[in-house]
Amino acid sequence: MDKLLLNFILFFAKSFLKQGVDFEKLKTIAGTYLLMDRRRTRVSMKMNTKKEPKNPLLITQIVYVFFGFLVATSFYEIRDIVPCMVILHSYILFMMAMTLITDFSTVLLDTKDNQIIIPRPVNSKTFFVARLVHILVYLLQFTIALAIVPLIFTFILFGAAVGLAAIVTVLLTVIFAIFFTYLLYGIILRLGSEEKIKEIISWAQIGLTVFFAVGYQIIPRLINYDALRNAVELHWYSYFLPPVWMAMTLQSLQQMYADGQHIVMILLAITGPVAAFWVMIKFIAPAFSRKIEAMGNSKTDTAAVSVTSLKKDRSLFDKVSSLVCTDITEQAGYDLTGKMTGRDKGFKIKFYPSLAYLLVFAFVFVFKSGKDFDTVWLTLPDSKLYLWLVYLPLFAITSAISLLPFTENFAASWLYMASPLYKPGSLITGGIKSLLVKFLFPMYIILLSFAFYVWGFTVADDFILGFFNCVSVFLLLSIIGKSYLPFSMEPNVQQQSGKIVQLVLQLIIVAILVGLHWLALSSAWLVALLIPLSAGGCLLLFRYIRNYSWNKISY
Amino acid sequence: MSIIEIKDLRKTYGDNAVLKGIDLNIEAGQIVGYIGRNGAGKSTTIKILCGIISDFEGTISVMGMDVRKNALDIKQKTGYIPEQAALYELLTPVEYLRFSGKLYNMEDAAISSKTYELLRLFDLQDKADTRMTSFSKGMKQKVLLISGLLHNPEIIFLDEPLSGLDANAVILIKEILAQLKVAGKTIFYSSHIMDVVEKISDRIIIIDKGEVIADGSFEALKASAREGSLENIFTSLTGGTEQHRTTANEFINVLKR
Repeated sequence: MDKLLLNFILFFAKSFLKQGVDFEKLKTIAGTYLLMDRRRTRVSMKMNTKKEPKNPLLITQIVYVFFGFLVATSFYEIRDIVPCMVILHSYILFMMAMTLITDFSTVLLDTKDNQIIIPRPVNSKTFFVARLVHILVYLLQFTIALAIVPLIFTFILFGAAVGLAAIVTVLLTVIFAIFFTYLLYGIILRLGSEEKIKEIISWAQIGLTVFFAVGYQIIPRLINYDALRNAVELHWYSYFLPPVWMAMTLQSLQQMYADGQHIVMILLAITGPVAAFWVMIKFIAPAFSRKIEAMGNSKTDTAAVSVTSLKKDRSLFDKVSSLVCTDITEQAGYDLTGKMTGRDKGFKIKFYPSLAYLLVFAFVFVFKSGKDFDTVWLTLPDSKLYLWLVYLPLFAITSAISLLPFTENFAASWLYMASPLYKPGSLITGGIKSLLVKFLFPMYIILLSFAFYVWGFTVADDFILGFFNCVSVFLLLSIIGKSYLPFSMEPNVQQQSGKIVQLVLQLIIVAILVGLHWLALSSAWLVALLIPLSAGGCLLLFRYIRNYSWNKISY
Repeated sequence: MSIIEIKDLRKTYGDNAVLKGIDLNIEAGQIVGYIGRNGAGKSTTIKILCGIISDFEGTISVMGMDVRKNALDIKQKTGYIPEQAALYELLTPVEYLRFSGKLYNMEDAAISSKTYELLRLFDLQDKADTRMTSFSKGMKQKVLLISGLLHNPEIIFLDEPLSGLDANAVILIKEILAQLKVAGKTIFYSSHIMDVVEKISDRIIIIDKGEVIADGSFEALKASAREGSLENIFTSLTGGTEQHRTTANEFINVLKR
């Protein structure tokens, strides 16, 4: 489809731009960019496999068409044009902005062109137009994938005139998405550095992955279609929301009626994107290009960090290491894991969605009865549902432990082999302790606070027992199967295999633990008695792993 | 007449003056070795000569053309091989070289006939249609070299072209550069590998802190500095010997703590 769109855009570009553009070179550059787009692995796929799919772009587009279908089906539930169109345009705005930030940032921020294209005899106008054409084709492909099904539904439900107008308003919304993305990058580049942008992109990618992972589970349950069926009430801030402008414009067209509010919204819907486009072309894009070019040519400016500032900046997490670690090797494993889990994009992109699954499971367990939120909330204090909260973190932390050995930078683990490590197991326990302090403790604090609020302080002993039980399970899981040192293995497809089995195993373990814990609740003293037993078990398991020799380690 | 003329070339990044008034005349058919420490201004000079960096002070003429006014014509007749293997790794070598050749206005037939032959000479024939994502640094460097030479340029700018290459490839490239010189090409060559610069260059320019501190043939530099190798000449001219000794001493002292 990209070739078709490219030829379509070039056909129009030729009639507008007669002078100063070498169309042969333009087609070569834009065509090559699009070929690379087809081959680039998308963020939405990174969590699944390392194996490169044949055409990742096409697969992403199919996924987007499916999302569009989900959005469109909500139209049938709602039927009212304003909320339907607000949903459609918000969805387009969000998805396009996220797609631009996550997948297209590599293109927008690519400084390779400075070394590849600029040394070659290509004039700046040809180069600029080639980049513009590339962006247009790229965005049109995604716009079509995202909007095709909702637009078909719009035609069916609200008529041909609204459907045709919606094509225009969707394109205007895409302009806003580009504008917001450029604006965001412009501000960051002005205030921060290239590194800051990369960090934000990294977090946006994680956010999008989380959205893909859990959005389809939670969002449909949260939407109150009854409320949406009633007319949307306009507030002062509605005048600042582009999806509302577009929706009101389309409503005006459908009803062939326009009061003061509608006229203002129609004017905003037309002038807003035009103004945004003008500001973008005139000010933001050129400044942005200059900055990117400068980034490519300038020397690396790595901020110097003095030794004294490093010593001062020890966080609580670092300070805890001397309390929880028993030897220097374990402390090394703890420190490395703490730093790597915060910086390794591969780890973050795989682990954070699993954290988000906590929300999904919590939601599913609490609302599995199918009753509405208010009823469930009122009966919650009388239930024993907190037992699920006690063992839910097991899902997330188990996934962290299974990810612990893997990194793209696995070759750096030569250091383990070269070091005089007698008991490499200490590195593993250090890594596990790091994950527990960094992720499990904060999770328990949040869950405990919630439990105290709903069930009172009487559940404290259950949470303490649950904590030690969870730790015992993590340790048992890490004992079963092969043992790897932290961040020493290349991520591969094999790593992904058996995930379903692992998930089912976890579910069974959680169910057994909840069941046993529930039985223990029958006696007031039993839970308290089990706490030291469970804690003792944890200590023994830690000691067992710490004593691993090299024979037990796979590398 | 000089093929490259540089007059009072200055370049700053913010407050950092990278080039502080370079004056050079390069004759056609020479191999010029351009050496200096990291951050001395070597890559910046080459990027300016190639038209990659356009905001500089001073005047530069390449093949009689002003680099500011005739950048495209100059680019058509020059080849640039950058320090880092910057290429589109999602493409195969054949796709990348076709792309590069087209930007140099080459005909498809000419690109195709040259591409496979050149890849074969660099032992890359089996990888010709494999995406470069899995290539080693040396393999990428070879593709980069071909892309910079494919259009048979008159002047070749090489910025650390040997980094990551194996010993055989280094010998091959040294030989290619020597034969390009015989064919009348001008080569402006920046490198850290003194041994190679010493052996292939007709003229060696040493740059330090944005200024030319030595310029001449290896024999002339050897005579004036009274040192035996280019490495020694370089170290003595950049004041490195004493500084390196002091740093090494400090290093050992810290290790002993």
